[in-house]
Amino acid sequence: MRVLIVDDETLARSILSEHLQQLPAVEIVGQAANGFEAVKLAEELIPDLMFLDIQMPKLSGFEVLELLGERAPAVIFTTAFDEYALRAFEVHAVDYLLKPVEPPRLAAAVERAAERLRNRTPAPSAEQLSAAARPPGRTLERILIRHEGRVHVLPLERIDYIEAQDDYLSFAAGGKHLRKQQTMSELETQLDATRFVRIHRSFILNVERLARIDLYGKDSWLAILADGTKLPMSRTGHTKLKELIG
Amino acid sequence: MHPIFLHRGRLLLYLAVWVVFGLLLAVVFVFGGKAPVAWSLEFAVPIAVALGLQSLSFWYVVQQMPPGDTPVGRMAAIWTIAGLVSLLVWIALAYGWAKWLLPEEQQYSDHAVGMLPLLIFAGAIGISLAVLGHYLVGAFQRSRNAERRALELQVLAREAELKSLRAQLDPHFLFNSLNSVAALIGNDTVAARQMCFLMANFFRKSLTLARQQAIPLAEEVSLAETFLAIEKVRFGDRLRTSFDIADDVKDVSVPPLMLQPLVENAVHHGVAHLLEGGEVCVQARRRESFLELVVANPCDPDRPPSRSTGVGLVNVRSRVETLCGHRASVDVDASDTAFRVSILLPAVSSQTAKS
Repeated sequence: MRVLIVDDETLARSILSEHLQQLPAVEIVGQAANGFEAVKLAEELIPDLMFLDIQMPKLSGFEVLELLGERAPAVIFTTAFDEYALRAFEVHAVDYLLKPVEPPRLAAAVERAAERLRNRTPAPSAEQLSAAARPPGRTLERILIRHEGRVHVLPLERIDYIEAQDDYLSFAAGGKHLRKQQTMSELETQLDATRFVRIHRSFILNVERLARIDLYGKDSWLAILADGTKLPMSRTGHTKLKELIG
Repeated sequence: MHPIFLHRGRLLLYLAVWVVFGLLLAVVFVFGGKAPVAWSLEFAVPIAVALGLQSLSFWYVVQQMPPGDTPVGRMAAIWTIAGLVSLLVWIALAYGWAKWLLPEEQQYSDHAVGMLPLLIFAGAIGISLAVLGHYLVGAFQRSRNAERRALELQVLAREAELKSLRAQLDPHFLFNSLNSVAALIGNDTVAARQMCFLMANFFRKSLTLARQQAIPLAEEVSLAETFLAIEKVRFGDRLRTSFDIADDVKDVSVPPLMLQPLVENAVHHGVAHLLEGGEVCVQARRRESFLELVVANPCDPDRPPSRSTGVGLVNVRSRVETLCGHRASVDVDASDTAFRVSILLPAVSSQTAKS
């Protein structure tokens, strides 16, 4: 079994690899010290199993899974404290280990992973993954986008508006446009409805960017943004926006 | 508003005292002024009650001049003026009342014999008693308030201590450190041992310090250094530290576990989110009669908004305010890429604080 270890602490990686080397079926193919490396190595090495720390700089373990989507290998989470157990099971993690991990417990987890691989359990959906990537009961705070081979972490407050283009969403932020494969309605449910309003079939607006609203024709309006951008607005969009800003 | 109006019982008791004063005054009129009994009662009791009501205004004067804060000369002068004004008003009232009771000219002059000196004498006594009474009540209230405030402070301090102890036992810190020890035992036993010593040191120190009211800054700094040394084992090169503690503030008395939570925040909400890590800077120096303590760290502009950054900080702020009131301040300067907390405390040497 090909294994990838992901943890931002050198010592945590070293003890895990030390114990894993004792297990005959395991081959450690790589180690990653942060979420970006993890995404890159997981795609390059295509491991069967990934040991994934949750709290890491830049990208959390859950966000790594969200970025990998269906390409994610089987996952065993390793963490110091069990506040994430529920979310871990939502993303169909094979197991959830608490550090320091005792070798027999580790061997059992690896055995479970082997069983899972033999049975070929389907991977969780992208929606489940991105839902688990944010703390329960909270709306999305940042968007993860892979654009031209790089991972971008886009905090919501930097987004001006979002436009639907075929199968993609285009996120406009400070003049730049980043594309991500996702549907408008899926994203809409994850956003804070008091900050982002769907003003049109293919536009979601960051309310803070709105400068004024111009009447364009019968039952249609234009949202003028602070930077001068003009976005079309439907009648329902206009009603929703009016309700929000009064 | 005068506190006496808040309780009906108190107001009635107060008025009853003045009725008794009025009865005594009536007796003086009957025996000293040879006035008829009925007239004396009718005249003296209402004006005594009037004097009582009038004297309630002294409460405001007492509020303006708490004893101890006001020079004696000034107090005497103000009370003389207030007393005289009050006396004049009262005598005018008394004459008005007498005239209304006995409108006929001849009877009025009969009973008025010797009334003025008597009224002045009685008024002066009544007013003096009222002033004294107000001071007594005021002093009683102040001592009760002081007691209550002392109790409140105690409760707040205890709460802060509990909170900081709970923060001390941060499970992530404990389990991650144990994981580091487990890892080191395999390939670097000397470092593993060192880590055990550091952890023992840290937990012992924080338990001992938490029980004290105030400690020298040097001890608090040493606790923060131990904490950072443990975290350096975990984070490796990513965590760098710098301490700049001026010699003349090492002895300054500070509330225990004030610096440690700030340093902890700097690591967990700052440096830990940076791929390349960063430096936690602790700085302490004297600014006139104050100690300025600064903890600064870089942070990641894209970091997820944290739920718990505030807790440690709120805790530190409430403790500092409880102990030093308005003479201390906690300032936070947060930008996209850096975080800085600075605390200003009155610099009292821990030797002076103890004695």
